[in-house]
Amino acid sequence: MPINITLNGKKIEAQPGQTILEVARGHDVRIPTLCYHKDLSPTGNCRMCVVDVKGSRFLQAACVTQVSDGMEIETDSPKAVASRKLTLGLMLANHSPSCVTCDISGECELQDLAYEYQVDAPVWGMKGTRYPVDSDPNPFVRVDFNKCILCRRCVAACAEIQARDVWGVAKRGFEEIIVAGAGATMLEARCESCGQCVAYCPTGALSNKLSYGQGIARARQVTRVATTCAYCGVGCQFDLLVKHGKVISVASNPDAPVNGMALCVKGRYGYDYIHHPDRLKKPRVRRYLLEYKEKRLKGNAWDWIETDWDTALDLTAKKLREARDNFGPDSVGVLTSAKCLNEENYLMNKLARQVIGTNNIDHCARL
Amino acid sequence: MTNKKITYKPIDPEIKELVRHHGQTGEAALEVLKDLDAENRLTPATITDTARALRLPAHRVYGMATFYSMLSFEERKNILRVCDGPVCWLKRASEQSLVSSVLSAVGDNWTVERSSCLGLCDRAPAVLVNDEQAGPVTGEDAPKICEGWRGVPTDYSQPRPGEVRVMMANADKIAPDSIESAVEYGAYSGLKSALQKKQEEVLDIVEASGLQGRGGAGFPVGRKWKFVAGAKGSPKYMVCNADESEPLIFKDRVLIDTNPHQLLEGIAIGGYACGATEAWIYIRGEYEYQARLLERAILQAEAMGFLGANILGTGFSFKIHVHRGAGAYICGEETALIESLEGKRGEPRLRPPYPPSYGFRGKPTAVNNVESFAAAPHILKNGADWWKSLSNYTTPGTKMYMVLGHVKNPGLFEAPFGLTLRQIIEDFGGGMQEGSTFQFALCGGAAGTIVNGSLLDVPIDYASSQKGISLGAGAFLVCDQTVSPVAFLRELLHFFAVESCGKCTPCRVGTWRSAEILTRMAIGMGQPGDMAELQALSDNMLLASFCGLGQSVPIPMNSAMKNFAAAFEKAES
Repeated sequence: MPINITLNGKKIEAQPGQTILEVARGHDVRIPTLCYHKDLSPTGNCRMCVVDVKGSRFLQAACVTQVSDGMEIETDSPKAVASRKLTLGLMLANHSPSCVTCDISGECELQDLAYEYQVDAPVWGMKGTRYPVDSDPNPFVRVDFNKCILCRRCVAACAEIQARDVWGVAKRGFEEIIVAGAGATMLEARCESCGQCVAYCPTGALSNKLSYGQGIARARQVTRVATTCAYCGVGCQFDLLVKHGKVISVASNPDAPVNGMALCVKGRYGYDYIHHPDRLKKPRVRRYLLEYKEKRLKGNAWDWIETDWDTALDLTAKKLREARDNFGPDSVGVLTSAKCLNEENYLMNKLARQVIGTNNIDHCARL
Repeated sequence: MTNKKITYKPIDPEIKELVRHHGQTGEAALEVLKDLDAENRLTPATITDTARALRLPAHRVYGMATFYSMLSFEERKNILRVCDGPVCWLKRASEQSLVSSVLSAVGDNWTVERSSCLGLCDRAPAVLVNDEQAGPVTGEDAPKICEGWRGVPTDYSQPRPGEVRVMMANADKIAPDSIESAVEYGAYSGLKSALQKKQEEVLDIVEASGLQGRGGAGFPVGRKWKFVAGAKGSPKYMVCNADESEPLIFKDRVLIDTNPHQLLEGIAIGGYACGATEAWIYIRGEYEYQARLLERAILQAEAMGFLGANILGTGFSFKIHVHRGAGAYICGEETALIESLEGKRGEPRLRPPYPPSYGFRGKPTAVNNVESFAAAPHILKNGADWWKSLSNYTTPGTKMYMVLGHVKNPGLFEAPFGLTLRQIIEDFGGGMQEGSTFQFALCGGAAGTIVNGSLLDVPIDYASSQKGISLGAGAFLVCDQTVSPVAFLRELLHFFAVESCGKCTPCRVGTWRSAEILTRMAIGMGQPGDMAELQALSDNMLLASFCGLGQSVPIPMNSAMKNFAAAFEKAES
């Protein structure tokens, strides 16, 4: 049974159980949020999404307040806007003020809102640093709690998306801080460096160490290229950030159909092979296979020679056939890779069992 | 900083044993932490082991260890917790600084810590010596604390003139540790009477009596119990809120001290009416003496068949547990209390759902104040009409009042509703002290209104906050002309800043910033615009805070700035 509510003076229908935020977004009414993220359980911590509900003494947090029949909601009443501005000021007062040198300046949700509401850090706000910068030795995640606004998205992302429960909240009141484990380093607290916390952090408190200082959020200098991860058959999608023709970082793409924002440590941080000088871009074969009739180890016969795919594949097929014909099908073993797709693995299975005729087939994921 | 090589270590067998002793569930986390703390063994390593033994993430246990103020990573042999509450502050203002005299008197074996209000306002200035409550402590007495001196508890055996005693009626007759003496004076007869009735009848009687929750909000107890009784889900739980961490309030402590069985009886009546079989008394960690008193009382009552299995042969079984907090004002908020009871940081939950439908362990739960439960046996014994007849005013029954500060006879008394502040001061407090004239009073509790003389004659009940004077939990701190309203408000904001849980931005930063401004103003370093900023912070806390703590901080702020605008304006420039 739909219920009737009034949103900014317009009578609309809503479903019971929907939050004010859900209804508003469904009707293209924007309510600013910070601690809320559609993938995570809403907590109502940051109080940015407060809206005016007629008859209520207090403003209501749209992300967690469910609509009820006859509710009259005003999303941008002077009271709500004034409260958002003040709350933003309180956040900025405890936020490192140096946006110009911040790695994610340009993609920072706090910065966006501060600009939208034209709120500056209060004069009494934090001048120096409360916490050490780059405080965790994790090789991939850069931690700077001077920029943390305690929205706790990292805590929820780690618990709900990755189920590692590394991040938590310690102390209370003004002293409150995000911690890994029992005040330990991230890796000691069972972190597997997936970087989900970085992807969900609305500020620069958690950022990427590998690309730090390369301006990944500066849209004019960086091109985003959507691609599929090359590491395994799951087929996660993400954006490669390309600057001056080089891949400088990987960013979650919220529209990715398979994985959403989630990635593993390899997909998110294992991209340095792309521009590595040792990377093989063409197939190589031993010199003797091209130049001699039989196997030789002397001289330069054992060298790798770059060649084209047809030559390399013909040679492989020929050698496989020879092995099968001379020594029997079980002299051949096939090992497939998790980097292949399911379909490719299936084809390798066919090749092994039906073409070569052996059951000697295994997969690297079992090792 | 480099990453340490992570090697597998088995869980410390002693911690494994400790966890087994406390029940091996997440709910036992606080108990384990308290035991580790008592042995000075609280370290990140033992916390990690505790978490592993409890099968919890390490951050959750660490988050708790750093949340509760009584726990510490520092090595402490003997702990002296000096009360930092507003009543003790008032007392200290006229005497030598207690902390410095205590510090100079104690030896190396002692750790002196500040503590938010200890709930010993009638013994101010008060300290907690390890688990033992002590006070009043003057500078001269401080050295004797190490030798076992604990001061004198206030005597409430005799009523003040004009008191109407119901819950305190037998304070002079009952030996708190003897169930026989309690039974002699009618203990558990209310429970007997309830058990002879149907559940619905008990609910109807409590609702008809008009008993309102005594924690401060005044929600009708009968209606809450009916919600729980009618809620889907089983089992159902009763929770008694004995966290009493609000400065100025100590009535629950006195009620437990004088008659613990009255409370147990009330909880059992509630349990029977709601269809619950188990109850928890969440008592603040600073009330260790009272917690032990209750534990002994529960054992006595179980031995006599008033609690436990098959009570008085009626087939109704009811178990009461005592759960100690570890220092957190926010745990007096019912959902934060439930979180704490479940072995988590005491942070408030989203509401709705409210505890009567989704409470402890996600089951229907009735959370009531000690005083609300203590009233129930009398209502069952004497009927709803009798309860209503006690008070001529709008709210039925009697109430525990606390009058403190610059009155001749500070302390606690029981009286009907509708008293005026003038009556409280003159008739019950013995009038203002010699040389003192009334300047203002903090009414209700720390989150109450700060009123001037213009409201002296307004009858006070749960609805009178509309007129600017609140009843809250029933405490009235009276201050004379010597107390600066600005400095007084600073003390309150300091308390709220220390006790804010940190969950939401308006309260976490707002209380801290307000305390900072007030600290400056109180020492003559105010700046133009300070009042406007305080007002803005206060408005934002009221409108946008997550829970009742943040929403009620503006009550003393606004009333002080309104009623003492001149003093604040003066401090501003």
